[in-house]
Amino acid sequence: MKKLLALTALVSLASFATAQKATTLVWSGAITGPTSDAGSSYAAGVEDYCKYANSQKMLTVTLNCVVRDDQYNNANTQRIFEEFVGSQNVPVFLGYATGAMLQIKGVVQETKIPTLPASYHIGLIDPPNNQYMFLPVSSYSENMVALLEWVAKKERGAKVALVVNPSPFGRDPVVDARKAATRLGLNITDVQEVGGNNLDNTALLKRLESQGVKYVINQNTAGPVANILKDAKRLNLLGKMQFMGAHYTGGEDLTKLAGDAAKGFIWATSYYLYDEGDRPGIQLVKKIGAQAGRKIDTIRSVHYTSGMLAAAIAIEAMKRGGKDITAASVYKGLTSMNGSRAFNPGFSVGPVTFSAKDHVGAESLRLLEADATGNFKAITGAQRSRMFQLVHPLK
Amino acid sequence: MPASRFTQTGNYRVRYQQDQTIFATYAEQASLIVGVLLLLALPLLIPKTMLRDVDMIMIFAVAVLGLNVTTGYTGLINIGQAAFMGVGAYATALAATRLNLPFFLAIPLGGLAGALVGTFVGLPSLRLKYLYLAVATLAFQIIFEWTVGHSPLLAQGGAISMPTVQIFGIRDTFLNHNMFWYYIILPVLVAMALLWRNVLRTRHGRSMIAVRDNDRAAAAMGINPGTAKLTAFMIGSFYAGIAGGLFAYFQKAVVIEDYGLHTSVQLLAMAIVGGLGSLPGSFLGPIFIVALDRFMGSASSWLGEKDIFPQGIDVATAMRPLAFGLAIMLFLMFEPRGLANWWRLVRMYFKKWPYKF
Repeated sequence: MKKLLALTALVSLASFATAQKATTLVWSGAITGPTSDAGSSYAAGVEDYCKYANSQKMLTVTLNCVVRDDQYNNANTQRIFEEFVGSQNVPVFLGYATGAMLQIKGVVQETKIPTLPASYHIGLIDPPNNQYMFLPVSSYSENMVALLEWVAKKERGAKVALVVNPSPFGRDPVVDARKAATRLGLNITDVQEVGGNNLDNTALLKRLESQGVKYVINQNTAGPVANILKDAKRLNLLGKMQFMGAHYTGGEDLTKLAGDAAKGFIWATSYYLYDEGDRPGIQLVKKIGAQAGRKIDTIRSVHYTSGMLAAAIAIEAMKRGGKDITAASVYKGLTSMNGSRAFNPGFSVGPVTFSAKDHVGAESLRLLEADATGNFKAITGAQRSRMFQLVHPLK
Repeated sequence: MPASRFTQTGNYRVRYQQDQTIFATYAEQASLIVGVLLLLALPLLIPKTMLRDVDMIMIFAVAVLGLNVTTGYTGLINIGQAAFMGVGAYATALAATRLNLPFFLAIPLGGLAGALVGTFVGLPSLRLKYLYLAVATLAFQIIFEWTVGHSPLLAQGGAISMPTVQIFGIRDTFLNHNMFWYYIILPVLVAMALLWRNVLRTRHGRSMIAVRDNDRAAAAMGINPGTAKLTAFMIGSFYAGIAGGLFAYFQKAVVIEDYGLHTSVQLLAMAIVGGLGSLPGSFLGPIFIVALDRFMGSASSWLGEKDIFPQGIDVATAMRPLAFGLAIMLFLMFEPRGLANWWRLVRMYFKKWPYKF
């Protein structure tokens, strides 16, 4: 009997010790369903960086990486959040879609779980309930305002149209863009909502042409933008109008879908791209992708890099938080990323900085232009939008 | 009155009054009580993670009960039930956040808003039938989404956070959320099911059935088909409004994406698979579709991870809608009376058991 008791105690101690030697990182997003084209690469980025972190022994404990498919369904995201945060005490949550992230914002605040979404909707870090949500890179709103600044430099008083997704993801930056345009002396003549079913954009483009619009800024996903570009090419409008877009409009996805119609498209993003092989972050992306045996299309995708950045930030925060990895320690780790302690894994064009008040990670962005081969080349250096802080002061 | 109030061995009813009773035997009453007791104990019997699905099933069941009034009982095809749910959800959210009403007033207000809008949307049913009416309700679904998307009052489809609820000193927190709402949704569902059963026994309910079977014959019998149709829309959308109000609190925020066309199609699928115009079907349909959704979600994720399909073909993404479509098609072809008919057959078997005849 004594032996049995001793054995039980030993097993309990062993399992307790094992439990202390592991922590879990959870990502929930659309591997299938709408926007899965971006989500599947993002998921691969998260998963592969976790494996890399384990192989490099970045943490003193083993990292269990859980990648769950929420099918772009808000209720599924909530269930996954509850499942892991409620039952398994995960210290940090990586999310995905705008709608789902807006919906869990209150729960994130209540549970005090630091959360990094793949949506860069500025409303996620606006008050109220904004203490534990962190944007890995600059917001869609800042992307659009930066594009407007570029237009204003080129042609003051130009007529600009905004083409946005019919959702909170698309609509939210419009208010900031309008305010910025007024300050920049630009004329926003039209705001059109275009979803994924825009098979023929003739009427839209002809209307913009008749209004004398020279610049079209898109806040959408790559699919609808590619359809607009193809129609603009058919209507011989590509030279007459300059098409531009925020983060999720561009990259490999756009050039794959739009082909040579993407030539000249100007894109705002905070990430380095696959073709910039001289960047240490991209070298790491290639190395990790090759080790994981990913297809070249996945590795080339900017969303693969985005997934890696989100995972890297979470893991770095775990590392900085101290021995016991808890939600509170991860929060401490995240908010310590500033000044000389800024985190720079090399995936984004600037370092990741957070504080209790600053919840935007890599604040710098660049504007890039698609060339004849469909590759995006930087036309600006890493910068911040000057106007953005004025039209949307972060609290 | 049956020969025995304990077992039913045949139909001994000789008066309409007897035909109108909800329960034929004490055994049926007892089984309901046992069923409700089991439901009360259910959270203790199932894994904690499953409780969220049960809550969702119960909320969908309320909406499907409503759909069974319009489509199942009155034959008015409605592809906009999620929009009525959305009307209820947004009305509840406004009542809770702008008027600071407590949830037990805000949710019924959501139901009333749903009923009001539903009656208005039902007006085309006075002129339109079948496919044309289906398209009219589909148009409402689209108008609803557009209206919400362009209304600053409704956060342009962004999130409207719901206030935290407290009842009998118990506060809805992250840890008890699913359990807390289970014990709120369950009595609502039971009450709504009893109301459904009783409304359909009234002259309004009989009018709806008569209109469904043949509206001209119903008119010849002195029934006003227009009134019956509008009543059906009003009641059906009231149920949807209540479901929307519950869903708003349950999800902790109202976001337009939850009330889109896909949800309307899902609700219609639940009604068809469960069995149109049937009370047990209103529960069996949501159970089947939510379980199918969970299963297909896992299966498509698994398939997505395996590189067995050519690159560029996203088979996994197509699997869920394919499964829904297939389920509806197979039920329509081979079991048009839905799962409710299987339930009926099981009950019939046990009524006769252990005798063969």
